[in-house]
Formats: sequence, structure tokens, C-alpha cells
Amino acid sequence: MSTPLLQLSQATVRFGGLTAVDALDLTLGQRELVGLIGPNGAGKTTAFNLITGLYAPASGSVAFAGRPLAGLSPHRIVAAGIARTFQNIRLFGSLSVLDHVRVAGNLHRAAAPWQALIRLRAFRESEAAVTRRAEELLALFNLERFRNTPARSLPYGEQRRLEIVRALATRPRLLLLDEPAAGLNPQEKIELVALIQRVHREFDLTILLVEHSMKVVMGVCQRIAVLDHGKKIAEGPPDAIRRDPAVIEAYLGPDHATALFHH
Amino acid sequence: MPPMPKAHLGFLLALVLGGVLSGLSDRIDPYHLDVLIGVGINIVLAVSLNLIAGHTGQFSLGHAGFMAIGAYATAAVTIFLGPHLIGDTAAPGGLAENTLFGSALLIGGLAAALAGLLVGIPSLRLRGDYLALVTLGFGEIIRVLLQNFEPLGGALGLNGIPAYTTVFWVVAAGAATVFTVGCLVRSNYGLGFLAVRDDEIAASAAGLDPARYKVVAFTVGAFFAGIAGGLFGHFKMTITPSGFDFSRSIEIVVMVILGGLGNTVGVILAAVLLTLLPEFLRPVAEYRLVLYSLLLIGLMLARPQGLFTFRTHRAVPRA
Repeated sequence: MSTPLLQLSQATVRFGGLTAVDALDLTLGQRELVGLIGPNGAGKTTAFNLITGLYAPASGSVAFAGRPLAGLSPHRIVAAGIARTFQNIRLFGSLSVLDHVRVAGNLHRAAAPWQALIRLRAFRESEAAVTRRAEELLALFNLERFRNTPARSLPYGEQRRLEIVRALATRPRLLLLDEPAAGLNPQEKIELVALIQRVHREFDLTILLVEHSMKVVMGVCQRIAVLDHGKKIAEGPPDAIRRDPAVIEAYLGPDHATALFHH
Repeated sequence: MPPMPKAHLGFLLALVLGGVLSGLSDRIDPYHLDVLIGVGINIVLAVSLNLIAGHTGQFSLGHAGFMAIGAYATAAVTIFLGPHLIGDTAAPGGLAENTLFGSALLIGGLAAALAGLLVGIPSLRLRGDYLALVTLGFGEIIRVLLQNFEPLGGALGLNGIPAYTTVFWVVAAGAATVFTVGCLVRSNYGLGFLAVRDDEIAASAAGLDPARYKVVAFTVGAFFAGIAGGLFGHFKMTITPSGFDFSRSIEIVVMVILGGLGNTVGVILAAVLLTLLPEFLRPVAEYRLVLYSLLLIGLMLARPQGLFTFRTHRAVPRA
């Protein structure tokens, strides 16, 4: 087997006396689409923040494409190929939709910053290439009509999509989506599922998805890992997870044998 | 040959305008000339602070400190090194004198930029009011150090600075500042300043290094503040540490806020307005400063997003 794209080995995050992520082992292969679920406070977002360098592990390790990520600051981890979205959308309030995607294209800008003052041909071409690439991405995701709209006046669903497009503009190999369906209506959720599948297919990506909407998770994921109190309590294909007693107990408590996921 | 970019054209036009104004300066009323130079220096200060506080969202109360470093460094070069370099017989306004002044300004700017680099580093860990306090402290430290440093005149300051500042130098510095800040901020790279201001965590998620952007903003902003200091010293011909105190910093901050954080045109207009306002208020003599303050309060109440901000920018960076 080739080197896994992402490997968490016994990764642990502690906040004071609270162990938010407890000895987590998680392996993602190339082009996998994996779900990470669990009740509120299970440590899903903490796991994301650990992978993206916002938190350092108290013990254990995170490796990306065989390379340990320890000590890398968040922007270097993005440069290494891991992009993410946030549970509570984080856009740049004053930037337009196009500028969101342009600014994320900086990682792949050919010209050095000081060239902005000289504006030689190479600089202008580099700028044009970044803008062209941003426009292509907008076109691909039907955001062209919002091109010059300030991000914060976008409809909520479009803000979620823009965050995904911004992440894609960094040209990641691994995309972490933190509750992309939160706050979406049923119709938008259906569109989101299609979008995630399309991104996965067309961008040659590995995706790790944190999500509460079982419809979305069961619909798109090839494999699901379940966290509870920071520990991984189950991992497997959606059908097995749906029936797993430990998972049902974690969500509903010990006395509820009723199948949660059958709606 | 591709057409020249608009920004370069504007820069060149400004230089020509500066040259023409300089050539005509004998025919301009000296009072008007003084006001014009004061306006130009304030534009350099306000636009450079706008890069730090407006575009990058790093609220800084130490701009007068950078200005002081530039003023003293430039004056030290022209006073102590000047006579050795160009002699006492150089023609006033001649090439030798202007070359000396240009190099001295550059040295002043670089000295201030170095200080900006040093102040930029704590800004990596601090934000909002805490950063404001650190930069305030920095400005005061510079002032106190200069006050006690006898080789540069101590509390009495430096006197007998040659009057090298001409309209041309001021217009050129103003154009260079606007050009540099404008070109930076409009490039793909420069969008990063705005992104860092809006949300640092999101900026790093987009692959940008917030620390780098903040340090660059402080360094570039301080460089031009240093040049403004050099121009100021060679305009007033005397500088004292108390001339670069906290209230000077506040004056510049007010221009930036009144013009609209991150709005270069607005900040230029505010710098013009706030430099001219005290002049227009001269007839009311001792009530001048009271009236000036009242006007400021009124303006901020009426237009908190900045006097000249008409688009819906978020006026205040998120803490």
C-alpha cells in the first residue's frame, strides 16, 4: 500500500484537564471521501484544528503525505496541500467574491510582491493568471454573477459555497469541510451533496467531512469515523455505522435501541 | 512597447506637477507655500499610516515616533555629514544639495523602516487595544530617548537644519507614498493586507502568512513616515522631541479615521481638510482648538464610517 495522504497516530489534544481529542488514529488514502461524525462536543472541529495547525497535539502525531506536520504554522500547512472551511463561515467581510478567490491564489503567484511597484510584463502576466484562474473557479461554481459583490452581502448558502471555492483556489490535495450543510435548507443540502461529489471527482481530491446532517454524510461518504468524547468509537462503511450499537448509544443514550439513522 | 500603466503615468504627472510648482514657487505667496508643504507632509503621514491601520487593521498610535526617527536621521545626515560631502560652497537648490537631501531622506526612511520592523514584531501577538498601547509606548520611548540624547540636541532639539524641503520634494514624496501603497494594495499580493485585517484565521486558511503581512505593513508605513519626518525637519529648520509627541500621532490617526480606514482617496482628502481647517480657523484665535475639536466630534458622530467613505466598507476591523 502506498503512503496514506493523511495519518493521525494516537493524536491527542488537551485543554487544561479536558481531553478534547483522545489518542485518535485516522488514516485517509488518496482520493478517499471520509466522514467524521459524532455528537456535539465530540472533538470533530478540534480534530480539524489539529490537522490544520491551529492546535498542537499534546501527544501523538499528524503526518501529511508521509511528512510530519508538527510545528508548521497554519499557512504552511495550506501550502503543503491541506485546505479547509469553517463551521461558522469565515469570509473576508470587505472583499468581493472574486477577490476572495484571487487572494487565495497568492500561493501560486509567480511574481514577487515588490514587483507590484515596477509592474513589468512578468508581473502583469502573473497577476492576470491569478485573476483568470479565479474567474474560472467562479464560473465553475456559478458564482460569476456575484463577482463584485462583497462577500458579506451574499446569501447564506452562497457564502458556504464561496468558502469551498476559496479553499479550492489554494489547490489542495486534501480538503477538510467543517459542517458545510449547517444552516442550509433541504434543497440546498441536496445541491451541496452534488457539489461535494463533483469537487471530489473533478479536483482529484481527498475529502474529510465533518457533518451533522446524516442525509449528507450517508449520501456522500465512502467511509465514516465516529467520535465520542474525543475517542474514536467506530469506523466503517455508512451501512455498518448506521447499525452500530455503540454509535446509536453515543447519539441517543443507552436506552434507545430505535434506529436513529432511518429517516 | 505596452502602454504605460495608469499608476506610473499618475506618478510621473505628479513629479512634473511638483517640478512646475517648485519652479513657480517664487511667485507663490510664502504663506500659501507653507500651507501647501504642510498639506503634502500630512498626506504622506496619513496615507502611510492608512496602510498599517486602515488596510492591515493594525491600530497604531506610534506614527509620530517613526516620523521622529526619520526627522532626526535625515537632519543628522545633512547637518553633520552634509558640509563634508558637498562643502559650504554648494549652490543653494543645486544638484549637489538635492542629491544630498534625497539620500538623507532615504536614510531617514530606512532608519524608520527598521524601527517599524521592530515594532511590527510585537504586533504579531497583540491586537486591537493592546497593540495600540504598545505602539503608544514606542512613540513615547522614542521621544524620551531623543530628549536625553545630547549629541542630537536633547530636549532643545536640533536647530539650524538647512531648508532643503521644496514643493517638489513634498509632491514627489506624496506621489511615491500614494503610488506605493496603491500598487501594493491593488495587487493580488496586497489583497492579503485586507484579508488579514478582516479575519486572520481565515487568511491563514487561504494560505497567507498574517505575520509577514503585518510586518511588511509596519515597515513600509514607517519608511514613509520617516521620509515625512525628514521633509518636516528641513521645512521647519528646527525639530524638538516634543514636536513628535503623542498628540502628533493622534492627529494622523484622526486623518485616517476621518477619511475612512482603508480608503486612500478619503484619507488624502481628510489630510488636506484637517491641515487647512486650523488655518481657516485662525480668525477665532484662542478658540481655534476648541472649535477644531468640536468639529471633529461632530464629523465623527455624523459619519463614523469616515467622511469620504461612500461604499459600504466595514469601518472598524473586527477585534
